[in-house]
Amino acid sequence: MKSLLKLVAPVLLGSTLLSPPVHAETPPNMLVVGFSMNNILTLDPAAITGKETVQVLTNIYDNLVALNATNRSQVDPQLAESWTISDDNSAITFKLRSGATFASGNPVTSADVIWSFKRLMKLNLAQASFLKTHGFSATNADASFTAPDDQTVVVRLPKKVDPQIIVQTLGIVGPGSILDSKAVMEHDKDGDMGAAWLTNNSAGSGPFTLGQWQSNERVTLEQNPKYWGEKPAMRRIMMRHLAESQSQRLMLEKGDIDIAYSMSAADLKALESNKDVKIQTNGGSGFYYLAVSMKDEKFQKPKVREALRYLIDYQGLNDSVLPYFGRLRDRPIQTGLLGALPNAGYKLDVAKAKALLAEAGYPDGFSTTLRAISDVPFMNAATAIQATLAQAGIKAEIITGAGDQIYGAMRERKYELIVGRGGGGQLPHPDSNLRAIVYNPDNSDQAKLTNFQGWRTSFYDEKINKMVDEALIEGNKDKQLKSYQDIQSYYAEMVPAIQPFSEVVDSVGFRADIKGLELNPSWSTQLRTVKKER
Amino acid sequence: MGNERLSAFTRQAGTILATLVGLLILTFCIGRLMPVDPVRAIVGEEADQATYEMVAERIGANLPLYQQFIRYMNDLLHGDFGISIRTGQPVINDILHVMPATIELATFAILFGAGIGIPLGILAAVRRNRPVDHVIRFVTLIGHSMPIFWTGMIGLIVFYAVLDLVGGGGRLSDYYIGLVPETTGFLLIDAVLAGDWEVFWDAVNHLLLPASILGYSSMAYITRMTRSFMLDQLNQEYIITARVKGLSKGRTVWHHAFANIRVQLVTIVALAYGSLLEGAVLIETVFSWPGFGQYITNNMLIGDMNAVMTCVLLVGIIFIALNLLSDALYKIFDPRTR
Repeated sequence: MKSLLKLVAPVLLGSTLLSPPVHAETPPNMLVVGFSMNNILTLDPAAITGKETVQVLTNIYDNLVALNATNRSQVDPQLAESWTISDDNSAITFKLRSGATFASGNPVTSADVIWSFKRLMKLNLAQASFLKTHGFSATNADASFTAPDDQTVVVRLPKKVDPQIIVQTLGIVGPGSILDSKAVMEHDKDGDMGAAWLTNNSAGSGPFTLGQWQSNERVTLEQNPKYWGEKPAMRRIMMRHLAESQSQRLMLEKGDIDIAYSMSAADLKALESNKDVKIQTNGGSGFYYLAVSMKDEKFQKPKVREALRYLIDYQGLNDSVLPYFGRLRDRPIQTGLLGALPNAGYKLDVAKAKALLAEAGYPDGFSTTLRAISDVPFMNAATAIQATLAQAGIKAEIITGAGDQIYGAMRERKYELIVGRGGGGQLPHPDSNLRAIVYNPDNSDQAKLTNFQGWRTSFYDEKINKMVDEALIEGNKDKQLKSYQDIQSYYAEMVPAIQPFSEVVDSVGFRADIKGLELNPSWSTQLRTVKKER
Repeated sequence: MGNERLSAFTRQAGTILATLVGLLILTFCIGRLMPVDPVRAIVGEEADQATYEMVAERIGANLPLYQQFIRYMNDLLHGDFGISIRTGQPVINDILHVMPATIELATFAILFGAGIGIPLGILAAVRRNRPVDHVIRFVTLIGHSMPIFWTGMIGLIVFYAVLDLVGGGGRLSDYYIGLVPETTGFLLIDAVLAGDWEVFWDAVNHLLLPASILGYSSMAYITRMTRSFMLDQLNQEYIITARVKGLSKGRTVWHHAFANIRVQLVTIVALAYGSLLEGAVLIETVFSWPGFGQYITNNMLIGDMNAVMTCVLLVGIIFIALNLLSDALYKIFDPRTR
């Protein structure tokens, strides 16, 4: 062994001594953030998908309004200083703040605002779906978004809905992001409205501008010298692609990164005892759930679905599998949203489940399949549920794979059971949850309403569709609250295809000297307010 | 004579071309048979069917497979490698960016692997069945059989987190990023060109650990191969004759036995280098090294076929080139093949 050390050690160690000592801290005016950037495919606000891009763009683009990080039902002014809703709930009028400019120096005008919304609808990419759901389209965009003067924007609702949900939607990064129309149109290529250019350039009015995006390597944000609001403490934000949770943890412990956005539960737990690092957990978007396919005749029977409800160990799952990922929730509306009822308190109850199965004609259980993507925590949750199902004689074979295999099967309505995550919620409105999780306007295969998880489960109930639609247009706040409570009670009673067992929470680790970090449940965590206290 | 040469050359070029086209067809089929959906990657989970179909049409994913392939080949013949879905940039630009990172890593790794592996292999062969041989065989067995992402992680914990000797993930520390202009893409060369030694040493600092670990795993292979080649030679009668003639042991080993295995070693090292160029994905992931292995894997995972096909083409060309190179080296080292 000695001769080995003699041979290898000098090479590994000797040459490192030549190099300068490694710095242990990041510079005081530069924030270094690590997370996996595998899902960042573009930085065009109209085309982005998923959480990671929102985390980046929220620092570059402003919206008319901003969703409050702590009080989910509160909407704060941003580029709009105030807004009013017409008496008949058919239009929203936003008054822009004066003096706001884009990073280019161009003033932010109402023309830019409506241009941004029309661009979103005309390109019809990922983020357009938020507004399409409420009746906006490329054809009615010109009539829906108007600018009577330089400081006023009027949004006319093409369909009768709660105007509050539209205000909230305009607070989401993506559908609500305001772009510098002049700067973007300078880079228009063959009528693409700047789509190619915006892939890796920015034209916003936010506290930072995009310095550089190097796919799966890093995103650098530079302080926007023209920013209209309070100057951020950081001159530069360096976001680094660190695919491995372990690497994030090591670099956070060493102080080479200041914030780690995507660490696994095991690493977060290990960091709890480190006094140089803090962990923040806040609400997120959507649920972890067990879903059945109503294409399967077994699951068409309400008793079987109800039996499944009692074959989930809610407490156990949340205590052992889901710390840092989710917290116990068994209702289809996230806590903190309008009308959210306290948990129904379902518990693992094998005897009750067996009785229900016997009533449905399956006294000895049955065989089925259970799908889950092969990542943490899905596989762990699926394994736990497989075990509790087995206690009532249900033999579920786990099928695992990548997102496209598992959710792809669900979109094609070819599955039996699935452990998944979803159910809206980026929008802090109960309608966002319900529309994603149970609403299904057309149950035919040809409809291909793959964006509705309700459709994917082939669950169709005319009454709940109607209740969801009516609750959304109810103008009286008290009645609306009551409607959402009623929907949850009805949901509990008739046992639809999706049973949530946890609501998503987000957890990040950060250096203890980082102050002012406030995780936003809609993913738009502002780094403008972050400071280093050393 | 001239004609013969020409036809031999034509035949070889034909074989190469057929190999590359076959490789492309195979890759295309595998890529399309995999359950990944590039359209879904672009539009996301929440998009409706109208958006999905619009994007499918735009990138040609709605066409039958053979038409997609013809379209791709047609573009390729016109020198257009296409745009990557993942980065939105021309694939060729992407590759010019990621390839130098990998070449830097692989070159250092192979220098390490061959530079230590070959002497170790010879030592083990000469001291066959002695303690040194056992130690070397044990060490190389570990290098050969330990999963490289694990070695990488342990390396990071020991040399980065605990001992603080080397840099963490990435090619440079954050404060040095963007300080030297990207002329060649090779950080070490760019830093020297800019005369910025701080950046140079920081880059070396980040390169050492992943390159050593990658080098260790290829060293394991090279050592074992060297040992067995050497044993073959040392058992030959001419070696005994040489010793009986009174030649020193060192001279026998280096001038006779080693001279005869050089040719085989060149092939082994060239192929090991080739596989380091394309196959460093795990170490690249652990060390957040923005290289070619990560690029090809991540693009494969979302079915970004323009990028994957170009990468595979490049890997094919690299291997063919390495083969031709080692053929050429054979001719230099082995007079009989001239």
